[in-house]
Amino acid sequence: MSKSLMRRAKNVVNGYSTTQVLLREATSNDPDGPSLDLMDEIAERSWDSVSFFEIMDMLDKRLNDKGKNWRHVAKSLTVLDYLVRCGSEHCVPWAKENLYIIKTLREFTHEDETGVDQGQIVRVKARELTALLQDEERLREERELKGRNRRPRRR
Amino acid sequence: MSRFDVDLDRAVRKACSYEETAPKRKHVRTCIVFTWDHKSSRAFFNAMKTQPLGEDEVSVFKALITIHKVLQEGHPSAIVEGIKNREWIESLGRIYSIGGGDGYGRIIEEYVQFLLRKLVFHRSHKGFNGTFEYEEYVSLVTTSNPDEGYETILDLMDLQDALDEFSRVLFASISSGRKNECKISALVPLVAESYGIYKFITSMIRAMHKQTGEDGAMEPLHERYVSQHARLFEFYADCSAIKYLTSLIRIPKLPTEAPSLVDSPSP
Repeated sequence: MSKSLMRRAKNVVNGYSTTQVLLREATSNDPDGPSLDLMDEIAERSWDSVSFFEIMDMLDKRLNDKGKNWRHVAKSLTVLDYLVRCGSEHCVPWAKENLYIIKTLREFTHEDETGVDQGQIVRVKARELTALLQDEERLREERELKGRNRRPRRR
Repeated sequence: MSRFDVDLDRAVRKACSYEETAPKRKHVRTCIVFTWDHKSSRAFFNAMKTQPLGEDEVSVFKALITIHKVLQEGHPSAIVEGIKNREWIESLGRIYSIGGGDGYGRIIEEYVQFLLRKLVFHRSHKGFNGTFEYEEYVSLVTTSNPDEGYETILDLMDLQDALDEFSRVLFASISSGRKNECKISALVPLVAESYGIYKFITSMIRAMHKQTGEDGAMEPLHERYVSQHARLFEFYADCSAIKYLTSLIRIPKLPTEAPSLVDSPSP
């Protein structure tokens, strides 16, 4: 596939770190959603403070991407949702601090060439994530539940 | 001008273009995100003021929608800055007050009136955010002082009436025209705001009941609450009939009857 080749070339040219490459892979323009393994790996890396900032930096870029790249936005919301539930404890404060980025996506619209509104999925995801972040109780429960079911962490 | 200001300027210009469509969400979003990133809204209002709004009524209307959105979703500084710029907003209402060809004159005037009302409210009641989100309720001490609480509820109801009035004028203008998306998009912030106000009023009256245990003094509020509930119910029903709206936002569903405001018998 030339597209994934292009992406690999861009990764090298722009000098992205391995973590950022993972994130770019997870939020790419391919029609498939990010795999669970990939998201697990990213969540695992969010415990490392250097990787954490690399992840969030890239997520920030992807979340603010153009309408044409609505898949970037949708998948970034998926990854962020996963991080908020299963990532390091830094992820939740980050998401809360930047809630306006997510909140303002609740009215995201993009019409593709055929006139189909592709924004719906972004709107739904943004709405759900906002609701989760504003519900302290539920968020804590979710994180506890996920924490118990997971294998022990590296650190 | 820094690079960010140029970006903002472009976003504002595109949001207030003369095409008769909804202001593009991505440009409005850029404005909103800008106020959070910079924790200031001065640049936004400055950019607005340099737009050639006097040339076209559609662009004035779109500017008003954009301002409303930024007041709602932007950094709290947007409200402060909006209050400072009241007179400028008021002046927008005068440009086309004689009524233009496409019937935008009237709704521009009404929109300006509503925005001014909203700003006056925020000036006398700090602590409310732009969309009156319910979560903020707990941070308000209003109920500890019943007189102040009563006052706040009355002011909220006045604002709700103003909103209701504006939405009626808006609806009346929609049914006659054909290119309606532009007008309809003004309903989006109105739905969010009216629901926020509604939830606030509901929980505040409930809390006041618990606090004071007085029914007699609350009676006039009750009556007004019931009538506002009925009008809001109709407003949402009208909105639900517009496909463009229902695909974009979730329209709240109110119970047919106004809910009881007395939670539990006072102890």
